Amino acid sequence: MSESCDRSNQLDQFEPKIIAFACNWCSYAGADLAGTSRIQYSPNVRIIRVMCSGMVNPAMILYAFRKGADGVVVAGCHPGDCHYNVGNYYAKKRIVLLKEMLDFIGFESDRLKLLWASAAEGKKFAEEMIDFVEKIRRLGPQKKMLSIPYRI
Amino acid sequence: MDENTLKKLKEKCREMLKEDVEVIIVYTRKESEPKEILTVIESPDEIEKITLSPLSANNPAKHLIHELKNRSGKIGVVAKGCDSRAIKQLINEGKIDRERVHIIGISCPGIIDYRKLITKFKPSEVKKVTLSGDTVLVQTVNDEQRIPLDKLIYENCLYCTHPTPQEYDSLLGEVREGRRDFSDIEELEKMSQEERWNYWIGELEKCIRCFACRNACPFCYCTECLVDPTDLAISPMSPAEEKASYPRFLGKTVNAQDNLFYHLLRVIHHAGRCVGCGECERACPMDIPLRKLERKLEKEVIEVFGYIPDGDVPFLARLDILPEKETTSGR
Repeated sequence: MSESCDRSNQLDQFEPKIIAFACNWCSYAGADLAGTSRIQYSPNVRIIRVMCSGMVNPAMILYAFRKGADGVVVAGCHPGDCHYNVGNYYAKKRIVLLKEMLDFIGFESDRLKLLWASAAEGKKFAEEMIDFVEKIRRLGPQKKMLSIPYRI
Repeated sequence: MDENTLKKLKEKCREMLKEDVEVIIVYTRKESEPKEILTVIESPDEIEKITLSPLSANNPAKHLIHELKNRSGKIGVVAKGCDSRAIKQLINEGKIDRERVHIIGISCPGIIDYRKLITKFKPSEVKKVTLSGDTVLVQTVNDEQRIPLDKLIYENCLYCTHPTPQEYDSLLGEVREGRRDFSDIEELEKMSQEERWNYWIGELEKCIRCFACRNACPFCYCTECLVDPTDLAISPMSPAEEKASYPRFLGKTVNAQDNLFYHLLRVIHHAGRCVGCGECERACPMDIPLRKLERKLEKEVIEVFGYIPDGDVPFLARLDILPEKETTSGR
């Protein structure tokens, strides 16, 4: 198989867009560590640095879905390790409730993921991202929340 | 809510106005249609206007906050079960000063859905609506009709947890028992994902985003709302580019997805706070089942977090009740 043929096959394949909100103190540093230790993970993930996972408003997540994200990851410090003491507890409450509500209205709640990754867990961060991208690839493109009216 | 309770209520109001209470928030009959509205009465002359019937639906908590801001004295308020829950929650959130409020608790058998009533009667012909036992007596211009309360009751009242107020200074009427029941939510949960999505998109397509649900809710008291970009300062000097780049989660367009966005956000802000007065649903001009969203959230708060609403410590302040897994439903 020639190289050009291989590339056209890749173009046909669905490439998910993943938005990851990573907290400045743990997860972003973890993602940074993954980079500096040359651990490869999927390029589908776009990282947005936030100061704390507790500042990720459900509106930000829904906005990402609205604008065509196929999956959203919220990554923060492990419980008890938050730079602001309790930010990640708030994040967990919000995300769990939002997931339940999304499920209730019939949206695939698997497209939203909450992840704890510390600054030392570069490898874990990369592995979780690869897993998540694979999961979204299996779920297919997210169409329900897009601006175009969509009915099944 | 029968004639007897009304008589007692009038006596109580007369007593209170003689004592230290400055004004009382009560229900009075609207002139043009068989509806009851909240009114602030200041003098004993106005006491004869007071009504109390299964049509006394609205929640006075929002008016109470407003009156407390504008007046210095003590304020009396007539509160059913859900209203007193709302007042209690607002006291917990520091919006109402308990010392300045006198709550007259009314044990509530459930209220009538106005929309159901006007399908059976012409609004202009209904003279009086009273309750005796489990029967609603509707007096029209020509005759008098007896209808069982179950046929006219507001759907939300079927799932009322505390029909008798828990927070009150004086209580009228006999004590009633309520229970927590999520059977309607479980029914929806049994549907498949696609069915649920089509159901909600179908319902939310109707929404015209008038924000009446937000304005009617006693807990939506933020001065600036996330979905309301017009509250941001725009001066004549601000250039078009600046105005265009204002943070705006939600556009002006009305489509099902945007409506979904708004309703999800609105509901999530009420986690562990919603008291179930049903004011959002009553205010909705398009008849969207908004209470189902709120009740689903309440169910999750109870089942996933083990938090019982109406607690003294607010839900968000409780950091010790996190679930083990990401979700417990396993769906």
